[in-house]
Amino acid sequence: MPLIRFSPDLDPVDGLLSLQRELGRVFESPFGSELGPSGRGVYPPMNAFSDREGYVLRMEVPGIAAENLKIETHGRTLTVSGKREIKTPENGSFHRRERDSGEFSRSLQLPSELDLSRAEASCKHGILTIRLPKKEEAKPRQITVHAV
Amino acid sequence: MTEQELSVRSKQEVSREEPTRPGRTYQPDVDIYETRDALWLWADMPGVDGTQINVNLADGVLTLEGRVALEDYKNLSPIYTEYSVGNYLRRFMISSDINTDEIKARVTNGVLELELPKTERAKPRRISVSTA
Repeated sequence: MPLIRFSPDLDPVDGLLSLQRELGRVFESPFGSELGPSGRGVYPPMNAFSDREGYVLRMEVPGIAAENLKIETHGRTLTVSGKREIKTPENGSFHRRERDSGEFSRSLQLPSELDLSRAEASCKHGILTIRLPKKEEAKPRQITVHAV
Repeated sequence: MTEQELSVRSKQEVSREEPTRPGRTYQPDVDIYETRDALWLWADMPGVDGTQINVNLADGVLTLEGRVALEDYKNLSPIYTEYSVGNYLRRFMISSDINTDEIKARVTNGVLELELPKTERAKPRRISVSTA
C-alpha cells in the first residue's frame, strides 16, 4: 500500500500534475488482477483509492443521473449497472457523434476486509463515488502501553 | 431489440501550446447536432461542475474548457487506476453565423450542453419557384 497521501494544499502549483503522476504509478497495480472477470476495459472506468476508513471507488458515468444507477452487493461482489440515454432535438442531423448510449453492468470482487453491507454511494457531476468501509476487526487498533 | 452495451475509451490528450500550469489536459467526447434553427453541442466532462466551465466563441472558433476539482482527491491514496483525471479542452471552427447573445449553456451530470442559435441570415430559406 503506498504511503503517499495526495493533498492539494501541499502543492498548489503542481497539484494537478502530482495527482496525475500518482494515478499513473498505480495504473498497472496487482489490485486489478484480483477484481474478477469484469476487470479493466469494462464500462465504466474505475479508479480505486484507500483512506483511513477503507476503500473509495470512483467511476466516470457522465450523463447518467443517480436514479438511473443501480448498485448491488452480494458477499464480496459489488455490481454497478445502469443505462445512458442520449436525447436530441427533433428534425436535425449529427455532424459528429462520439458519445455512446446504452446499458452497462460491471461486477467487482473486492477484498474480504471490506464490509460491503455498509457501502455508501453518491453521484456528482457525472462521477459515481462508492465508499466501502473496512470491517471493524480489519481496522488498525491502538494498543495501550501500560507503565509497570 | 437488444440494447447496445457501453464500452470504455481512453481519453485523448490535447497537444498544443503549453498552458501556464503543469498537468495533462484531455479532449472531452463531443456530439454536434444541427437543426434548422440552431447548432447543438454536448461535451462529456465528468468531474467538472458548472462554475468551472468556460465557453468562448470568437472569430468563428468555439472553445470549451473545464477544470476538475482537486479537493475531491484530498486524503485519498490511489491503489488502482483505469482512467486519467485532468482538465478538458476542445476547440471547433463554427461555420454557421451564430447569434452569440442567445447562446445557452447548461451542465447536467458532468455533461455540458450548448445551444447555439443561428442568426436569421444563417437559417435555410425556401425560395418558391413560380411557373409562368
